[in-house]
Amino acid sequence: MSPSQDLSKLSNAELMRMEREVAARHIDKFPYFAVVWAFANLAIWIAVWPLVFLNIIPLWLGFVISTINVTLSYLPSHEAQHDIIAKPGTKLRWLNQLVGHLSTIPLVLPYRIAKFTHMDHHKFANDPDLDPDYSTHASGPVQALWKAIENRQPRAKGGFNAYGELLLRKERPDILLDGIVYEVIFYGTLFSLAWSGFALEAALLWWLPRHLGVTYIQYYLSWAPHNPGLAKGRYRDTRSFRSILGNVGSLGMQYHVIHHLHPRIPLYRTPKAYWEMKPILEARGCDVDEL
Amino acid sequence: MQQVIKSIFYFGPMLFGIGFLAPLSAQLIEAQSWTPPYGLSPIMAGLVIGGCLGLLAQIRGRWI
Repeated sequence: MSPSQDLSKLSNAELMRMEREVAARHIDKFPYFAVVWAFANLAIWIAVWPLVFLNIIPLWLGFVISTINVTLSYLPSHEAQHDIIAKPGTKLRWLNQLVGHLSTIPLVLPYRIAKFTHMDHHKFANDPDLDPDYSTHASGPVQALWKAIENRQPRAKGGFNAYGELLLRKERPDILLDGIVYEVIFYGTLFSLAWSGFALEAALLWWLPRHLGVTYIQYYLSWAPHNPGLAKGRYRDTRSFRSILGNVGSLGMQYHVIHHLHPRIPLYRTPKAYWEMKPILEARGCDVDEL
Repeated sequence: MQQVIKSIFYFGPMLFGIGFLAPLSAQLIEAQSWTPPYGLSPIMAGLVIGGCLGLLAQIRGRWI
């Protein structure tokens, strides 16, 4: 199939068969990169603390490295949330869960909360009442960045606060408890460091990197691939887009439409799957004009 | 227990102001060699700054 082929005359059943054929070529590939990424990223983030405290690297450099670490900490967990590393009941399932739990520690986002809310995002993408990530919707890039900051205000209704509401609504206080434990440990660490004379270190190695990382993640993982986010449905609730920072700078989100259609395709294979599937996506009326 | 947790989180902005912003402000004052007014020590000045910011956020429900 060539990328410019016109498949608009084919039946839905024929298009579905072709789409599944392409997807099958990319599913069940072990994401070595995501696994190495998860452990390397966490190891670097942990190593930065003694390196700064022992004056081996300056605090400003620790801040830059930590900010990158926090920003990169979500995606390996995202692969685990979709059982891409190993499905339930398989030999490497422990690795899937380990990556899921460990990688988001710098982000202070428990794996069970991330997974539970993310599954609802897939199920109800762009639904104002049911999509837990709907609060990231905004009319433009600047508004999206501002929205990400607003969603973190104490009495905000969106962002992580929306996750808490969802868990209460679905009667999952057990999962919400993970969030409470993470928050207590996070703020307990910040307060302890601050009152021990290391407030600047706490601010620049965790508190501010987390704010910057969450903003970047919400911009590229939530707002950009769903903007304008007006339509619902399998082929309409997300899109492909061209980022000025490229696919790496956008954390691999340029081809997000592939992820929503086939969530078990590893992140590193979504570009290839996209180009193979593009005529099908066009025939389905997906928003794939930018790329 | 649930009520205790709720109360702690409800007063989050005040706790953050005193628990984190106060020592952070004090250490910024010291790092910049600023002299706080009215003969306040850096930590006293930090408590005023952090306490006020925390109280404002507590009342408004937002930091910015």
